Amino acid sequence: MKKELKKNANTAVCPFSRRGFLKGMVATGVLASIPAGILRANAWERIHYEGKYDIFRNACPRNCYDTCSIKSYVRNGVLDFIEGAQESTFTDGALCVKGYAYPRRVYSPDRIKYPMKQVGRGTGNWKRISWDEALTEISEKILEIKKKDGSLLGMALDKYSGNFGITHYGVEGMMSSLGYTSRFVGTPCWPAGIDAQNFDMGNMWCNDPEDFVKAKYIIVWGGNPAWNSVHTMKFIYEAQERGAKLVVIDPLLTQTAAKADLYVRVKTSQDGVLALGMARHIVDKKLYNKEFVEKYSKGFVDFVSYLKEKVSVEWAAEQSGVPAELIRQLAEEYAKAEPGTIWAGYGLQRHMNGGANVRAIDALAAMTGNIGKEGGGVRYGHLQTWGFNYNAMVQKQPEGSVGYLGKDKIKSEFTEEQEGKAKYSDRTININKIAESILNIDEPPIRLLWVACKNPFGQDFDRPKLLKAFKKLEMVVVVDQFFNETVQNADIVLPSTTLFEEYTVNVSYWHYWLSINEKAIPEQYEARSDLQIAAMLSTKMNELESGSCTFPQIMDTKVWMEKEFNEGIYKYFGIKSWQDLRSGPKKAKLASSASWHEKKFATPSGKYEFSSDLAADYGHTKLPEYKVRRKAYDKFRVLTPHTQFGLHSQFVNIDYMEDFNKEPFVYINPLAAKVKNIADGDMVKVFNKVGNVTVKAKLTDNVAEDVILMYEAWFRKADFNVQNLVDDESSDMGSYKTGAPGVAIHDQFADIVKA
Amino acid sequence: MVNSKKCVGCYSCAQACKNQYHQEPGVVWRDLTPIATKHYPHRERAFYSLACNHCDQPVCAEVCPVQAHVKREKDGIVVHSAEKCIYCHACIDECPYGAAKDNVVLKRAEKCSMCVERVDAGLKPACVLGCPTKALTIVDLATLDNPKAEQYPPGFDKHEALNPSTRFIRPMAPKLALANKDS
Repeated sequence: MKKELKKNANTAVCPFSRRGFLKGMVATGVLASIPAGILRANAWERIHYEGKYDIFRNACPRNCYDTCSIKSYVRNGVLDFIEGAQESTFTDGALCVKGYAYPRRVYSPDRIKYPMKQVGRGTGNWKRISWDEALTEISEKILEIKKKDGSLLGMALDKYSGNFGITHYGVEGMMSSLGYTSRFVGTPCWPAGIDAQNFDMGNMWCNDPEDFVKAKYIIVWGGNPAWNSVHTMKFIYEAQERGAKLVVIDPLLTQTAAKADLYVRVKTSQDGVLALGMARHIVDKKLYNKEFVEKYSKGFVDFVSYLKEKVSVEWAAEQSGVPAELIRQLAEEYAKAEPGTIWAGYGLQRHMNGGANVRAIDALAAMTGNIGKEGGGVRYGHLQTWGFNYNAMVQKQPEGSVGYLGKDKIKSEFTEEQEGKAKYSDRTININKIAESILNIDEPPIRLLWVACKNPFGQDFDRPKLLKAFKKLEMVVVVDQFFNETVQNADIVLPSTTLFEEYTVNVSYWHYWLSINEKAIPEQYEARSDLQIAAMLSTKMNELESGSCTFPQIMDTKVWMEKEFNEGIYKYFGIKSWQDLRSGPKKAKLASSASWHEKKFATPSGKYEFSSDLAADYGHTKLPEYKVRRKAYDKFRVLTPHTQFGLHSQFVNIDYMEDFNKEPFVYINPLAAKVKNIADGDMVKVFNKVGNVTVKAKLTDNVAEDVILMYEAWFRKADFNVQNLVDDESSDMGSYKTGAPGVAIHDQFADIVKA
Repeated sequence: MVNSKKCVGCYSCAQACKNQYHQEPGVVWRDLTPIATKHYPHRERAFYSLACNHCDQPVCAEVCPVQAHVKREKDGIVVHSAEKCIYCHACIDECPYGAAKDNVVLKRAEKCSMCVERVDAGLKPACVLGCPTKALTIVDLATLDNPKAEQYPPGFDKHEALNPSTRFIRPMAPKLALANKDS
């Protein structure tokens, strides 16, 4: 309990009052511009509530289920502290270990403050340049490409979810406003499951997570909300207090598993097998919901035939590692619960058979009549609240732009399909094969890469291949806040604002709340929002060549935010204008907390499709059939899920976070460690055909004997990147709704040795 | 009240405190202590969130030569006034729970004061408001009537002379059904 202390002989009386000093600074109005260092050293004082704070409303724009509504306390232009908004029953006053690090992140000493140029990519020899110099250099490169290739297809955008503030789709707009360009499309995250839910039901649409309280049986399957959706846990706890049983199915004994009534360790990626085994038993015992399958589904008879012919509980037990008796028990308990609900996590679809896993789980819910029920459903995600104008995204190419002559469509799970009505279009490339693409694409090759809201060196696969690919690029421009690994491989970095320094609007793909994000403090140093950067680039481009960029030269992010609202949003949330959100977030007016409550599915048949022709069109089986998992290519399975201390490469680098999370680890089962002569705390080398990682070991039976676990994160002081062990093998599904298949992130294997 | 059954070890409480008071890196008033596997079977899956225990007989108040630590009559919060600190290290050395922290940068001791000014303004302490699972709550020991509440749960040191005010609810462990191997 008590930490070791060093005896210190020094005693000193503090010579002056810090409070007096701070007050003096406040009086002269200097506080807003003093360097973070001074503010940090003297920051601890009693909070003075007398002499009010300026209160602002913000929203965390990270890729996270919980998308918290934030209440920000500002005094004299300085963000002092934040709280979770108490008006939202979902956020309910609390943020998380990452959100609470925001005040430190805003004023972090190593935040990028100015546009910087790296003289010699990868050398670390950075020099400060002005915005004018940066934009001139970039614009000149763009014009050079246009001249050389006759098009801008040599300019590519790598962007994903680093910032989900709706106005940040302006980056895509910026690209369109320059011409037809190359776009990395798809998503590394959840595409297989999205396709699966679309084949089965016609859309991805989950219940309001606050209705977990109504569930009588909860299966958290391949997900870890205790780390990744902490705010949902309270609703699950409430359900348990009301008598619900919580079962967690996962290859790892996660934090969520520790809160379950029963934890079931399944063999990784055999979730589909387990679900089919349960389905077979439900058929045998006639525990399926006759009304639902007869009235609201298509193909159930075919599904039953398949189960009877190809699936037995014993076979499912052998394949999944779950005993036959337990499969029967789970099936009966789930089928009999009124209602039962399943949380389908994203982990279980990051596999070569990931989409098939989700289809099988969907089928379980459908056959038991749990779809369309309050407290029921298969919860994956939704986009019901995302009906904004995407004003910043939709920009016209300049006159005379030449593009790709194929029929590519820009697909994204978040926005409507952008189809080129003109004969040209952008060139689309699989975002999950960025290294492969850069190396092989030609006519023209990718010359200029713009990276925003993404960190490919942090999160993308086959890192050694990516390093090779970057050598081919003529110019790399990254918009970011810290010198992370992608920035380290860039030519120019443009400093971006935090959420507190701009206006935008935010919603979640999980809960049903809408939050405004106000500009609480001025842009720090020379940081600019993605939108402002687009506007500034437009000004510079048109200065060098008139008409070369159509992006509106609007620098006021409030204007962009206002343009996003429409009648649909007002009606859905029961508000008259965005101003109503200044008093707190608002929840959608839902007819029911259940998705699909009218059982009117968006499939071609209008019913739940056990048998989906559309799935067949995309090269899959019509029915949710068993799909074999990836064969192991090495001795141990390597799992690299998310750390609880960061959102990918964000937050782990903040010094406040390092107080709680100093270094990375690899978790090994004691049985495996014994064979390898590895003790707790030893450095080990994890290696496979892709690369290797050297890291400290911790022994635990939270992992199976032949599984090793590392949390994906960027530590600024450690040479650690799990992507050195992950190849870019695709998942089965994802092309239908997102333009490219996903990645089999958790189908990786390696060996270990004491370092 | 530290409800380790609800606690998911998310560290929101620890960071909420840093968000509120901006302590230097390395100075942490509230932290999570993982419960050792001899007390809870799964490594790093159960925690005690600990700061100052606002003891009934606080040793810090007893040893401080300048009365920088004072236990309030009305609610029992042991309030620390850091500006009075002469950095004698007595509280840092004497508190067996390590609640008094050594701030080597500002050369003074520091301690959780249960967000006394928030409490006085009718607000919850930052860690209590900041806990997403509501595992941290303020309770009145005079009226606390929960048979599950313990003063010295396994893994929390017993110091009866101090009579710490923190109460705990133990974590629960799941039933297990484990596939042996992944392959």
